[in-house]
Amino acid sequence: MAIAASASVGRANRRREVPWIERYINILGPLVMILTLCLVMAFADPRFFRVQNIMIILQDASIYMVLAMGMTLVITGRGIDLSIGSVAALAAVVMAMLIKDVGVNVYVAMLIAVLVGLACGFMNGFVITKLRVPDLIATLSMDLVFRGFALVLAAGVVLARFPDPLVWLGRGRVFEVVPVAAIVGITVLVIGFVIYRYTPLGRYAVAIGGNTEAAVLTGIDVTRHKMFQYMLMGGLAGLAGVMLTGRLNAIQATAGMGLTLHTIAAVVVGGTTLFGGRGSMAGSLVGVLLLSMVVNALVLLRLDFFWQQVAAGVIIITSVAFYAALQDPGKGGVSGLVRRLGGGAR
Amino acid sequence: MDQPPLSVEPLLTMTGIAKHFGGVMAVQDVDLTLGRGEVVAIVGDNGAGKSTLIKVLTGVHVPDEGVITLEGRQVSITSKRASQALGIEAVYQDLGLVDTLDAAGNVFLGHELKRYILGIPFLRNARMAEEAARVLKENVGIELEDITVPTHNLSGGQRQAVAIARAIYNTDLKILVMDEPTAALGPEETRNTLKLMRRLKDQGISLIVISHNLDHVFAVADRVMVMRGGRVAATLDCKSSTKQDVLAHIIAATDGNVAA
Ligand SMILES: Nc1ncnc2c1ncn2[C@@H]1O[C@H](COP(=O)(O)OP(=O)(O)OP(=O)(O)O)[C@@H](O)[C@H]1O
Ligand SMILES: [Mg+2]
Repeated sequence: MAIAASASVGRANRRREVPWIERYINILGPLVMILTLCLVMAFADPRFFRVQNIMIILQDASIYMVLAMGMTLVITGRGIDLSIGSVAALAAVVMAMLIKDVGVNVYVAMLIAVLVGLACGFMNGFVITKLRVPDLIATLSMDLVFRGFALVLAAGVVLARFPDPLVWLGRGRVFEVVPVAAIVGITVLVIGFVIYRYTPLGRYAVAIGGNTEAAVLTGIDVTRHKMFQYMLMGGLAGLAGVMLTGRLNAIQATAGMGLTLHTIAAVVVGGTTLFGGRGSMAGSLVGVLLLSMVVNALVLLRLDFFWQQVAAGVIIITSVAFYAALQDPGKGGVSGLVRRLGGGAR
Repeated sequence: MDQPPLSVEPLLTMTGIAKHFGGVMAVQDVDLTLGRGEVVAIVGDNGAGKSTLIKVLTGVHVPDEGVITLEGRQVSITSKRASQALGIEAVYQDLGLVDTLDAAGNVFLGHELKRYILGIPFLRNARMAEEAARVLKENVGIELEDITVPTHNLSGGQRQAVAIARAIYNTDLKILVMDEPTAALGPEETRNTLKLMRRLKDQGISLIVISHNLDHVFAVADRVMVMRGGRVAATLDCKSSTKQDVLAHIIAATDGNVAA
């Protein structure tokens, strides 16, 4: 489709236009996968669509929503946090021991868990910005440290049966239907959306991830903002640990092992690029929902846990390859893709 | 010391600038003056020291020798920030834009308009988009069809315009330095960029432009400084000289030191 160039702009070096579809492709992509999945499940197992099952999916997704909010910001700032599973476990173990062994008030203990997460995030941020250890290595190493602390503290014990408020947060239902945890998760993502779009914190994460040098030159305090991103991530990981404990009504030091990669996968599927500078909270929500629906579908179909792993891997690669194809200027982006698929309208 | 005649006190003087990298004398004993609203072009063969000279001005390189004065006062430019604080900005083709942000995001980067609600700063995105569109139109003379696309999707000339709009908006811009601004542009965009330079000049902004294209140089510059081997080979007045004169100085085998 021809593009009318206004008089003042040159045509010669003009890059491709962005059709509206390209802006929302990160949401449309996973949505198409969700619809496909729904279509398959409509034939394979209609139980998938029962309200009860949908609520189970939301319940499962809730923890990832909380984690994905922080991860979206961290990855947008061209960082990554591989320690969140261990942070969640450590925070949860500390909280559980305070409740069970010390008799601390459950609300206070929950708050402390979040603070433990914040402290872990602070340490990540410190190692990355002050000691200048690359994000990947830093958080991978800190993952071992945090997990180690959790293991030392809990010493192989499973702590179980917690006070009502904690369990309510983990598995409670509002009006006997909507999971409390899902409400928390969506609220966190909405706050994330506002931070990302409408506050300097989000804007500077984009700037730092998109062009660190430019960000520094305009006077953006990169250290401060990276610290903020990792501390937010840590605090949210602490909250995720609380929610996990509540849902299981039990916790042990080895909990939350798979949280990290699942979260990163959901965020990446939602169109946040690992190269930094571009991300989407709405995309992360859709990514989280997609992954939880796939896992749920596979469980319903009685496929092995191993197949869930395979499915998750395939979805991630499909998404990332899809985005890579879109970024390929030789293929003309989405407009090129649409053209190649024979659809004329953009 | 040869100096071109100046009607008023120059905005900027660089005197006796020298910079070496290891054994390479990139710039040696270079003098440069720039008047208010004046456009000075720097030309010369590859490796003549043009980029090095302007990087001294923009704080990328600290000179080994030399004195810089701005508005009659001696200044020390030790960093890019220091240079920007003095109202000196450099625009390169690809430097300084966050390409995943839109034009407004880039124009206001680091200086966002905010509104405080309960002490929390919120970005005034709509207002910034309006303002950016206004600056782009009024000061830079460019209208984007859609101001909300990431600058990644804009053309080279448009991106340059956004970078210039940012420089104009955020600093009390006195001197704009452009290193080969038309090198990567098509014919129409080149025309627009030349037009833009004249427009900036009309706003009283002084320009230092490095270019390999003498047609472009003569289209916008008041004076042209020819560099060869890290030294000033000649400074010519564009009105009273021709492209052939300049070319002769660029390729001359002897070290002519001609003042206009
Ligand atoms: N950072 C640096 N380290 C070492 N040598 C440098 C550096 N920058 C420039 N030089 C050398 O200084 C000399 C002048 O380089 P400069 O980039 O200023 O030339 P130029 O006139 O801008 O050339 P061109 O037209 O190719 O851009 C060259 O010999 C170059 O190799
Ligand atoms: Mg150069």
